[in-house]
This record gives sequence, C-alpha cells and structure tokens, in this order.
Amino acid sequence: MTQSWQLEAEAAVGRGVTARRFRLGNGLGLITAIDRRSPIVALQTWYRVGSRHERLGATGMAHLFEHLMFGQTQSLPPGEFDRLVERTGGESNAATWVDWTYYRLSLPARDLALGVKLEAERMQHLVLEHTPVESERDVVTNERRERVEDDVDGWLDEQLMAQAFTTHPYRWPTIGWMEDIRALSLPDIRAFYRTWYAPNSATIVCCGDFEEAALLDLVALHYGAIEPGVLPSDVGRIVEPEQTRERIVRAPKPIATDRLLVGYKAPGQDEADWAVLEIVATLLAGCPSARLYRRLVIEGEVASSVDAQLTPFRDPSLLRLAVTAARGHGADEILGIIDQELAAMAEKPPQKAEVEKAKALAETDFWTSLVDLDGKAEALGHYETALGDFRKVNTLAERLAAVTVEDVARVVRSYLRAERRTIVIATPEDGDDDEDDDDDEDDDTSGDDAAAAGRGGVA
Amino acid sequence: MTGPVVIIEPSPDTPLVWFDIAIRGGAAADPRGVEGLHRHAALLARRGAGRRDRAELDETLDNLGAALEVGISRDALSLSGLALSRHLDAVIDLAADILADPRFDEAEHARLLRETPQVLDEIRDDDSALATRWFDWLCCPGHAYGRTSLGTEGSLARIERSAAIDLWRREVVADNLVIGLAGDVDEPTAARIVARLVARLPAGARPASTTMYEPAVAGPIATPVTPGRRVILVDKSDRTQAQLRVGHLSIRYGDDDTAALAIGEAVLGGMFSSRLMQEIRVKRGWSYGAGCALRRSRLPHWFEVWMAAGIEVAGPAIALTLELLADYAANGPTDDEVDFARDYLVGSMPFHVATARQRMQLAVRDAVFDLPPDYTAKLPVALAALTPADVRAACARCLSPASAVIVAVTTAEQAQASLEAAGAGTLTVVDHDEY
Repeated sequence: MTQSWQLEAEAAVGRGVTARRFRLGNGLGLITAIDRRSPIVALQTWYRVGSRHERLGATGMAHLFEHLMFGQTQSLPPGEFDRLVERTGGESNAATWVDWTYYRLSLPARDLALGVKLEAERMQHLVLEHTPVESERDVVTNERRERVEDDVDGWLDEQLMAQAFTTHPYRWPTIGWMEDIRALSLPDIRAFYRTWYAPNSATIVCCGDFEEAALLDLVALHYGAIEPGVLPSDVGRIVEPEQTRERIVRAPKPIATDRLLVGYKAPGQDEADWAVLEIVATLLAGCPSARLYRRLVIEGEVASSVDAQLTPFRDPSLLRLAVTAARGHGADEILGIIDQELAAMAEKPPQKAEVEKAKALAETDFWTSLVDLDGKAEALGHYETALGDFRKVNTLAERLAAVTVEDVARVVRSYLRAERRTIVIATPEDGDDDEDDDDDEDDDTSGDDAAAAGRGGVA
Repeated sequence: MTGPVVIIEPSPDTPLVWFDIAIRGGAAADPRGVEGLHRHAALLARRGAGRRDRAELDETLDNLGAALEVGISRDALSLSGLALSRHLDAVIDLAADILADPRFDEAEHARLLRETPQVLDEIRDDDSALATRWFDWLCCPGHAYGRTSLGTEGSLARIERSAAIDLWRREVVADNLVIGLAGDVDEPTAARIVARLVARLPAGARPASTTMYEPAVAGPIATPVTPGRRVILVDKSDRTQAQLRVGHLSIRYGDDDTAALAIGEAVLGGMFSSRLMQEIRVKRGWSYGAGCALRRSRLPHWFEVWMAAGIEVAGPAIALTLELLADYAANGPTDDEVDFARDYLVGSMPFHVATARQRMQLAVRDAVFDLPPDYTAKLPVALAALTPADVRAACARCLSPASAVIVAVTTAEQAQASLEAAGAGTLTVVDHDEY
C-alpha cells in the first residue's frame, strides 16, 4: 500500500532553516528541517504516549518500552540494533516523560536509510518474550534505585508530584512505582505495544544533511503499508481538582542539611499564563541576579542553592522551587523568606527593566536550544507531540517577549499562593525525623517523576 | 612575550557567540595543603571586577542575556562566556575586567570560604560524586590529580586572600592563556576581541608546568606509597546500591598509545555493545549502566571503570569487573572487536565537531594539554593506521588490574561481607563524611 504525503505546515526555525510537516494517509507525521552544516542527521521518532497514559498498578509501562525497544525484532537478533547503529559511529537513546516517549538516532548522513529502516522495524515487529523482558525489568529496577531510592533529589521530585496531584496521572512517576515495575505482566506489555506503537501515534523528526524528496520516499517505503492503530480516545483528559490547602511532607534522609522542594500549581504549557510564569521563574531564581538567589544564597546565606523550574507539560502542572539549606539554617526559615519575596512581587510589580532582563535571558535560551541538530529535533518533537504543533516553538518565544510587568504581578497573585502549593522537605537523619503529612486528603502512594528517564549508560 | 593561543570558529547560524578563556595551571597546581586555592581565586575574581561589585556585575550580565562562568579542572581554570552577538562587545569588556582587574573583595573572600564547605556537603549527599571524590583521592597517592580541586575542610582554612591575588597575577598573563571564540563572529572581530582581552594583562612568562608527584598530603586513611589492589568501602546509611569505581593510573591524553587505548576503551566500556555493558547490564541486569574511560588530561591520569550495582550484587559485580579487566589486559580485544570499535570511533567524530562551539572547545582543550589544537580532530587518521596487535599491545601497557583501587559508596552493614568475598584486596571501611 503506497501512500502519498500531504504537506501540512511549514515555519522557519532559526536562521536559514525551515521545518515542514508532512503526513501519510495512515496518520504518520514527518517533520523535516534541512541543515547542511555537518554531514550528520538527527532522526527522532516521537510517540504520543507517556506515563499519563498508564493506569495505577501498571505505572512505568511507557518507560519500560524505552528499554525494550532496543531489543530483538522479527528480523534483528538481540543486540543487533545497537551494533548496527554503533558500526556507523552513530548513537541511539530514548526518553520518556509524562506526555511522550521518543527514540533518538544520531547518524552519519550516509546512514539515514538504515535509521529509517530500523525505526520502522521496531514500530511493527518488536519481539516481546519472557527472558528479555525480565532482563530489562532488572535494569529498570536498578535505574530506579539509582535515580530515586538512593538520590534525595529524585525522591523529592517523586514525593512532590505524588502529593500535589490527587487525581491526574501526573501523580505517579514516569519510571513507575517499584512494585508496579516488578508486576507488569507480559500480556499487558504486549497490549501496550499494540496500542501505542502505530503510525498514527508517531511523528518522525529529521534534522540535518539530507534530501527531503528522498527522505519522503524512504519513509513512505518503510511505513506506508503499516495500518493505523486504534488509539484510546479521551486519554489523559482527567482534570485535577483545584488545590485549596497547603500540603507538607517531611522525611529524614542521609543528607547534610535540609532540602526543600515547593510546587505551586501552574497552567499547562499552551496556556497564556505559562509564558508569564516562565518569566517569573527566571526573576525568582533563574540567574545570578534573581531575587530569591540573591536573598537566600548571597545576602542571607541561608541556602547553598536555589533553582526554579516551570514544567513544560500539556496539562496544568507545577512551578517548582528547589532549595538546599545552608549549614545552620532550615527549611522553615527558607519558606518564610520565599513567602516574603512572593508577597513583595505580588504587591508591587517589578520594574520594566527587571522583566526585560528575563526576556533577554529567554532569548538566549531560545537560540541555544536550536544550536545543534539533536536540540532542534527535540524542540520540534516536543511542541508537536505535547502541544500539537511544532510551530509553537516560535510562538512561545513571541509569548515570552510580550510579557508585561502587570502580567508578572498578576500571575504571582493568582498562582503563587500558599494554598496552591505542596512542600516536600528532606531533613538530616539525625535531626527532626518526624514524618508529617498534614493533608488528610492525600493518602495514596502515587506521584510523578519530572526527570526525563534516558537510556543512560554510555550515552 | 608570545601571546595567547587563539582559536576562532566562526558560524553565523545563530546570533550567539561563545568564548572560552583557559588559564593554564588548574587545581593540580594548588600548593600542598592549600587544596582549593585555584578554585577559590577564580570564583573570587568573578565576584566583582573593575568598577562593578558582584551584584553590579551579575546584574549587567543578566540584563544582556549573557553568562560568564568560571570552570575549574585539574589542568586549567576557565572563564566561559555566552552572549547574543549584538551584546558581544559589552560582555567582552566585563570578561576583560575579570581577567585584568578583579577586586578580590574581602567580604566575598570570607563569604566564599563559608560557602565552599557546603559544596562538600552536596557532594556527600550525591553517591556518584562522592565515589569519584574518594577514588580521585586514593587512586594514586601523591599524584597531582589526587589533589581535590574543591579542597578539604582543613585546606580551605589555610586559603588566604593574598595567595589568591598572587596566583591570579602570576597565572593570568597573556602567554599562559588559550582563548577560543565560536559562533556569530568573524575573524577580524575575533582578533580585535582577543586584543582587548589581553591588553591590560601584566607581562609575564607562562608559569612552570605542574609537577606530577609530590608526597601525599595527610588524609583520613593511610595511603600506601607502592600501588597495590585494595578496596575502600565508603559507608553511608540506607543505600540500595553500591556506587563503584575501579581503576588505576594510566597514560596522558596525547601519549603515543592514546589512539590505541581509545579503541581498547571503546571495546571494554565505551559503547552500548561493549563488554562491560553486555556482561553487567544486558546479561545480568546488575546495574543501569557500566562503562570505562581514560580521563583526558595533560598528565597521566586514571583509567576508570564505573557502575552502580544493586547492593546485593556489589561483591559479585566487583569480582566480575576485575576478572574482565584482567582478561582484557592480558589478551586485549579480538580482531573483530578492534574493527568494530574503530568504525565506531571514526564514524562518531563528525558528532564531536558538528558545531562551531564543539570545535572550539576541543581545540582549546587540546591546547591546554600542550597538543596541537587539531590533535583530537585528527585522531581518526591515527585510528585508521592501527592494527589489532597494536591495540592489544597498548592495552597490555596501559591497563594494570593488579594495582587497581576499588571504591564502593554503599551501606557497610549490607555490603561489607559481599565485598570481602569478592577477594579484591584489603578492605577498609570509612565514614562517608570523613573526606
């Protein structure tokens, strides 16, 4: 079944590079961006499946595929995928997060055809048998131990999402709960593959040195005959109830000083106020002259580090403040200072120059994200898969540039309120070791891992 | 005066310019007992220069959407900048102030001395960083690279502001710099910028190179003068894994065996299909990752294996690693493995030099190592000329598993018996916050 391509959209992405989105009749998307500065290509396959598409009791399924997809297929024996890629000098990796999973091949330009063939093969013909699944299950449990059980920051992330979300699937970790990882059944694993690994669930992104017409022919040749899958409808349309009370969790850990992670409920990345909060995050802790950094680290010396991050999720998520206390200081003192700074910003809008500073930093970040082929492909793939249109990589830059001082004060007042936040505190083991969860509406054990889980190892 | 080594990689594809200014010397040149001095001097220089104090310098850079960051390696200090090209001149002025006219403010000196021990705390909270810190200390007692770039609680107490000023005056001279520029900048502009960066620097010769060995500084556990295999268990509570490091002193980057050992390293632990990854992760599922590498440095440095094995298999993982290492040192890779790894390394080079910034950074690093700036970029030529016998001979010369040092950050109560049973050498248990 040979199918023809339809050009759906095009836009400039950076200087001298145009991205174009095509679609095959079976629903497969293809975004091309030709850049001939180096004889290499970034070939990424993005699937519209992430941890949000899992169910309680089977968390970690999407991430497990990030491992299984490098295994045996009908025409490739175990290990052959990696050997074929490495023989070219290329590299392969993958990442899973809440809204997506993607597979990355970095290849010499001359080996693009090999990459397309390999990706098409594992979309259709992955062999899911007991022995390789068990082997990868062991690897994933060790990955979880390294990133969560033995890593205080991983634990803080997981607990924050588990407490902040009561209903939405963002509440469980992308890597999955340990007991779920151990219990995922082979029939369920096979069913997940049949459901989500289909052309109408995928967008291929190719950036680099190639001929577009030849790539269109190549992809049509290898994917054109694949029937579309039946994707679950209305998946992920769960609405998290509005948070009305502050939630706090404390636990002892083998650390030197208190660590604090605060998450304020924030809008999804496509909503208008997301860009404003991105500017707020920069003003709080995104640069050496940021308000919280100066107050906590430099002037007060009550913290050794502070970081602000707004998660780029499709649905409403969190603006997160991560702080490590300085010796002799504690989380409660730091929380008090955070409250003072937020109150000041809400009461009196920042000067225009301060907002312009955050915009200048955002402009630098925007261009930095488009410097290398992998980064460019990741930006295109994320906006296409999470937000439905790769062109939003440009509109976000425009939204950031349009933020005003009044916008900043308004969103601080609207979003950064105590009743909309969740706080997780890790304390040194020989200090206060009382576990305290003061929110009786949160008694489940689910959460979310905000760290994209890569394949790791040699990558 | 010969002036700085200058590397320029123009590329107009984004309106950004990166620059790296390397000041040869680095943490390996810290005076004995005053470890952390180079780091301290560089960070202090960044905290106020010319007519701007720290806050004014930060504010000015942020307003330009720019960054100026200090880096510390064993071989060099660095001042790295990123600027929108329309603001490049303004950012270069700030960098020139830091190089030529740092304030070395008294209050910032005292504040930095209070801050640095807290970086030690952060390392102790991070098992992987902690394993690396202990391994660096113990791998080859007396070696310059065994000196911690961060310092210890004791050495930090000995850092004087005047010593930082003297160090800066001695080392920040034009002849001692390697300056790289990449991005939206043409060659005439780059030449003008380099001239501005060095215009106000004092005259002075490049300082003498770092001495490789000095008597070991007293530490938390005895460090034998003669190398031999031993295990250090860094005890930390509640671990579910063991962060493992296995290694020994090997060659310098740029040694005659560099290309051959690069192939040897790839076969043993530099690819997903490498022996360590296959045996540890794929066949046994003992660790998420497992790999090895020669640390790239100007002087001979460590060849190191790493993994994070489940605590219940820490001993078997060490035993298997030593067995693999011993077999590899004795027999080396097969002909097929050499061909495969060579294809991988040659084919991967375009990815390491794909952007102007990558090319500039590699060339700056090579120059700091006193190698030709295109040494790494030309490695594929050397790789192509090697035979499997050359690689096996290099592995035999460069790998010495009998003198490997093993560091395990884990919980002694659960892991000690397993590690002792591995028969890897004399085992010493230390508390994780002793160093």
